Amino acid sequence: MYQTESWGSPYVPASGRNGVGSYSGGGGDPFERIERLAAESAVVIFSISSCCMCHAIKRLFCGMGVNPTVYELDQAGDPIAGKEMELALMRLIGASSAAALPVVFVGGKLVGAMDRVMASHINGTLVPLLKDAGALWL
Amino acid sequence: MFPSWPMRFHHQQQGSSRSGGESTDSGSGVNTISSKAEANIEPESPISRKAASSSSDHYHFQHHQMDQLAVSNGGAGPSSSSHHHIQQQNQSADKPPNEKRKGISSEKPLDAKTLRRLAQNREAARKSRLRKKVQAYVQQLETSRIKLSQLEQELQRARQQGLFLGGCSGAGGNLSSAAAMFDMEYARWLEDDLRHMSELRAGLHAHLSDSDLRITVDRYISHYDEIFRLKGVTAKSDVFHLITGVWATPAERCFLWMGGFRPSELIKMLISQLDPLTEQQVMGIYSLQHSSQQAEEALSQGLDQLQQSLVDTIAGGPVIDGMQQMAVALGKLANLEGFVRQADNLRQQTLHQLRRILTVRQAARCFLVIGEYYGRLRALSSLWASRPRDTLMGDENSCQTTTDLQMVQPSQSHFTNF
Repeated sequence: MYQTESWGSPYVPASGRNGVGSYSGGGGDPFERIERLAAESAVVIFSISSCCMCHAIKRLFCGMGVNPTVYELDQAGDPIAGKEMELALMRLIGASSAAALPVVFVGGKLVGAMDRVMASHINGTLVPLLKDAGALWL
Repeated sequence: MFPSWPMRFHHQQQGSSRSGGESTDSGSGVNTISSKAEANIEPESPISRKAASSSSDHYHFQHHQMDQLAVSNGGAGPSSSSHHHIQQQNQSADKPPNEKRKGISSEKPLDAKTLRRLAQNREAARKSRLRKKVQAYVQQLETSRIKLSQLEQELQRARQQGLFLGGCSGAGGNLSSAAAMFDMEYARWLEDDLRHMSELRAGLHAHLSDSDLRITVDRYISHYDEIFRLKGVTAKSDVFHLITGVWATPAERCFLWMGGFRPSELIKMLISQLDPLTEQQVMGIYSLQHSSQQAEEALSQGLDQLQQSLVDTIAGGPVIDGMQQMAVALGKLANLEGFVRQADNLRQQTLHQLRRILTVRQAARCFLVIGEYYGRLRALSSLWASRPRDTLMGDENSCQTTTDLQMVQPSQSHFTNF
């Protein structure tokens, strides 16, 4: 199983901090929560700890020298909140199946799931985006 | 046998007329042969006598009369050939018009250098003919390979449909129906690929306008989009078929990465072939190579993690609930589809980006290079399969290949004798 510690510390696992877990229900719908969390860091990845595609996307950013903030939705303090956000993300990226995650935000703006992230990296738009957000320095 | 005599006997002439000439050694060597050959004339039929006499202007007969008699009669002559001394410098032999010897029998001595040059020319011509033959053969192989694979798939499908009882994949054959379907579509795609490539080639040679060429180039891109779409559909049903590369030829399969080509390797191959490029284009290409490498690395690591996770699930330890364990494992295995799809996505994006970086003409040439490269890789697989081996299986093809490929060697040794 995935352990956040085993990834080393190039990025900061946020589940447990004042992120997903501690933001208990009642106030705010999942979309608002997502938007808020996405705006807090330059690069935000919503992930599932056991998902290997999520692992791949983390490796991608680390390989580029970026420090993403990762929210493991399956390790949220409140599992219902986590699940709500997962569904919300699915709607945001227009995914029909359950395989919505990982989802990436850069500079508070939605980039998308793995295919969009890779496409933007290949067509050269990801790096400028990262630089603008202050996540990457030349 | 006979046609080669004039040459040898001419050497004799050289050996005798020039002292310390280059050909002396070979001449002396031929001496014995020629005298033996002469001696052999005797018991033979009049036909051989005629052949011998027709080349008489090369050797010097002691008995002139005999010679003239032989030439005029063209027929039976007395058996005094054994008295003929070849060393004698008798230049007055008649020279019957003979096309074949016109070039050789001129008064100017043919030295070994010229002979060597002639030999080399023949060698070069032979090599060029061989090259052409091999190219034609390769083309033939590729076409027949496609046809064969098509036939195989049709056969499989027919068999499948006959035995298909519903639901169970792999029933009655090695291939699942999804896999068989894919193989058939892929064979058709390969045929289309050849067609597209000849369109590109024709377009480049005809110096079409950019707008016209662009249409052909964009069509080629759509052609690739189509195979990626096809693979996406197949991945849902039979991802193992794709990822293990059963559909590909052995040489392609050897270098397969996640069910297809590795984009960064393709770009590496292309870099040298895309000249001339502007500086901006060069940077774009290198940047593309770099980013695809990063993406490949990330996907590979993700796949490694998947494998590790799978191993952890089904390996050792006490099995509390076997079915549960298997269910979890199956769930993890399902992620394979995602990786193959992302890999294909990466491949597709790379091709599109290439299209963006290059001009229309450059893109046309680039895709032609790509198509030809994979065509050759596939042909290589075919040639490899039919290469001569020490096993019991000797194809007809292998014999032919052996003969062709070994043609060069004996001819080299043949000429060094002179």
